Amino acid sequence: MKVKLVNDQVSRPTAESATKIHDVISHAPFRSKNGSAGAVTMSAHQVYKSYRAGSQLVPVLEGVSLQVRQGQFTTIVGQSGSGKSTLLHLLGTLDRPDQGEIVMNKQRIDNLPARERDRIRNQDIGLIFQFYHLLPELNVLENTLVPYMIRHGVWSYMRQRRRLHEQAKELLELVGLSHRLTHRPNQLSGGERQRTAIARALITRPKLLLADEPTGNLDARSGNEVLELLRQLGEQQALTVIMVTHDERIAQQSDQIIRLRDGKVVANAAEAA
Amino acid sequence: MFKLLLMWRYLKTRFIALASIISVTLGVATLIVVNSVMSGFSNEMTSKLHGILSDVELVASGMGEIDRVDEKVEQIKSLLKDDLEAVTTVVRVPAMLNFLVHGQPRYHQIMLIGIDDQTFGDVTDFRPYLTNHFHRNGDVFRLMELGYDDELPEAGWSYRREKFRHEAYIRQELERMLQDRSSTRLPVAIQQSIAATAPSASSSIQEPLVNVAKLPPLPAQKPILPRLSSDVPTGAGSEYLLDGPSSLNPSAVDTWNPAPVDALAAYRERVLIAPFDPITEQRVGIIIGIGIGRLRAHDPTTGTSQNMYFIRPGDDIELTIPSAGSQPRPLLENCTVVDFYSSKMHDYDSAFAFMPLSHLQKMRGMIDPSTGGSTVSAIQIKLKSNANLNSARDRLREAFPIMQYPLMVQTWRDQQAPLLSAVEMEITILNILLFMIIAVAGFGILATFFMIVVEKTKDIGILKSLGAPSRGVMSIFLGYGLSLGIVGAGAGTLIGVLFVVYINEIAAVISMISGREVFDPSIYFFSSIPTLLNPLMVLAVAGGAMLIAVLSSVLPAIRAARLAPVEALRYE
Repeated sequence: MKVKLVNDQVSRPTAESATKIHDVISHAPFRSKNGSAGAVTMSAHQVYKSYRAGSQLVPVLEGVSLQVRQGQFTTIVGQSGSGKSTLLHLLGTLDRPDQGEIVMNKQRIDNLPARERDRIRNQDIGLIFQFYHLLPELNVLENTLVPYMIRHGVWSYMRQRRRLHEQAKELLELVGLSHRLTHRPNQLSGGERQRTAIARALITRPKLLLADEPTGNLDARSGNEVLELLRQLGEQQALTVIMVTHDERIAQQSDQIIRLRDGKVVANAAEAA
Repeated sequence: MFKLLLMWRYLKTRFIALASIISVTLGVATLIVVNSVMSGFSNEMTSKLHGILSDVELVASGMGEIDRVDEKVEQIKSLLKDDLEAVTTVVRVPAMLNFLVHGQPRYHQIMLIGIDDQTFGDVTDFRPYLTNHFHRNGDVFRLMELGYDDELPEAGWSYRREKFRHEAYIRQELERMLQDRSSTRLPVAIQQSIAATAPSASSSIQEPLVNVAKLPPLPAQKPILPRLSSDVPTGAGSEYLLDGPSSLNPSAVDTWNPAPVDALAAYRERVLIAPFDPITEQRVGIIIGIGIGRLRAHDPTTGTSQNMYFIRPGDDIELTIPSAGSQPRPLLENCTVVDFYSSKMHDYDSAFAFMPLSHLQKMRGMIDPSTGGSTVSAIQIKLKSNANLNSARDRLREAFPIMQYPLMVQTWRDQQAPLLSAVEMEITILNILLFMIIAVAGFGILATFFMIVVEKTKDIGILKSLGAPSRGVMSIFLGYGLSLGIVGAGAGTLIGVLFVVYINEIAAVISMISGREVFDPSIYFFSSIPTLLNPLMVLAVAGGAMLIAVLSSVLPAIRAARLAPVEALRYE
């Protein structure tokens, strides 16, 4: 199993990271079976991003490059403020980089028109957030179906309604929420909310799942449940997962770890061959 | 799909939106109600005015006279041809009308209109405003036995017979009493007064008003004629008062020196001196505006109004009219009130009195004895309903140029131009002001929506992160605004229309609760609140409200659409 180092910056593998790599090798429940064999699903090349805070330009990402292969489980770790969420947003077409390219399935996606990027988010990428980001006015089933509601107009949605509802119910059963279909998000526990968010991210059967600290707001037990769920579904549906986390334990179980510090990749650790 | 669903859910869960809906509703309802009532008023008023006035009028300028009337009427007929519906001539003259109430004289300044009862009703709405329904067709100047409006107290011949029989009886009784006591206790002045009125008093039935004929045109110190029935000299003889005090000064009696000196007096003598039995005969018929003979007493404690009739059909009244010609002199005439004119236009009801044209012309000397031709004050024309008012007026103006004829040609709109334009102006300004109410509601929506957009920033980010296009997000809020507008305008229209339809009932209920009359017909032109619901106006108001609702949601919607998903998601 091999992950190509694509960091153009000077990479400085430290002794610390070496031991971590060893750790990852020893028990890696997330490690995909076909990780190294897959084609490159998503890559970033020399991405720069800065935000304007008043009159000052605050650099967040300063030349980040990475590659993710199909079926791989990749984690992005780093201190808070290191730019890991920003990187994920750029990958998820929620934002545009100032410089550099983001390529998905050999197609550059960062410079596409807004409508095209909307379509990509809707169909090709599943997104999970730390704060679940469910719509409070909708119940679990409706929240799960929102991507389809966005994709289809009223008539075409109504025509497929039954099929889509079946699909959503199946998926919700898979995430263990079949008893909560008509509950509103505020009637659910954190773990249940996150599982709803996962169902929503996967309802359109994307090949790529981006998760922004999905366990960050959960207690240990529901966090583990959510991780376990992600692992199962990832395997079942041959998902490529990119997860932002600050939990080293999770990172250690991944195929590839991208460490960010001050907007730069400090180590792109992967399983040694 | 998500747009509809979310719009619906936002509507259902945001009660703040209810406030916007209510303000739109109230604005729309108020606008509809006020507009309907205002245009009802103005419509009713203009149709009344139009009915009372003729379409086009040729009027002699400065209260003058129009001569060679027949010639002019023929000219008008040939000029207007097919546009002409009817034409009539009238004499208008300011007059004074007086009668006694409890022995006290009441004077009214009126506009006496001499009408040709054959044609006048064809040109203006006249007959429908008479209270006796037999007068609505037939001879309007005859006192009727029956047919007077139920609202009136007893009126007509039965009342007249009763009244004059009673007066005759009183007079007989008084005479008897006076004769009994004349030798000892009666003061000299009263004896003289009786002597002065003796001819009529002795005939016992003859109406004392006959004395009018024997008076000089304006007795300097005599405001009112003595009538034995009700006026008994005051002072020493007050113990014989039958019917309240009188203003009559007994000493003035001595100054009476009846001596018909001129032709007018001779005319009066000829006409009036003839024996006249008020129980079986009537004098010249006069129709007076109901406001002259009636007082509407408002009781503030109960909030109700009551009608008091000083005079009613069957009573006799006295008219003072200026004669025609270059040196007008006052003429006196006694008339019998045969009916009331009740157009519900207070200005007219309290000023108009109608009498036969020919009689008025004869009295005032408007008939040329050598040719038999007569003069009038105005020629009134009614046009066919599809005829153009202004073009008819202009044709008439051309035919009767002001340089040649001292005639003014006016349409009814010209005559009432100040009033009509004032009403129009009022409606316009009121509409503008009321539309401001809806605009305020619009700003309410704007503020509410900005709040909702801020509150929903995160949701907007979520939707965008799931691939919702900006336009879709925008249409959630536009649709939201539109549905607020539809609901608000719909409810407002419903409330407004219902209010207009049941406005008189509502006014009655409010009167009952508050104890004061909301709509006092004695103040207004109309007996009930008139309304006119114009469907186009309702549509425009409702449409305008919806438009304002949508417009005021545009800004928040654009703001929502422009939110960058990342920033929206970061928003906590």
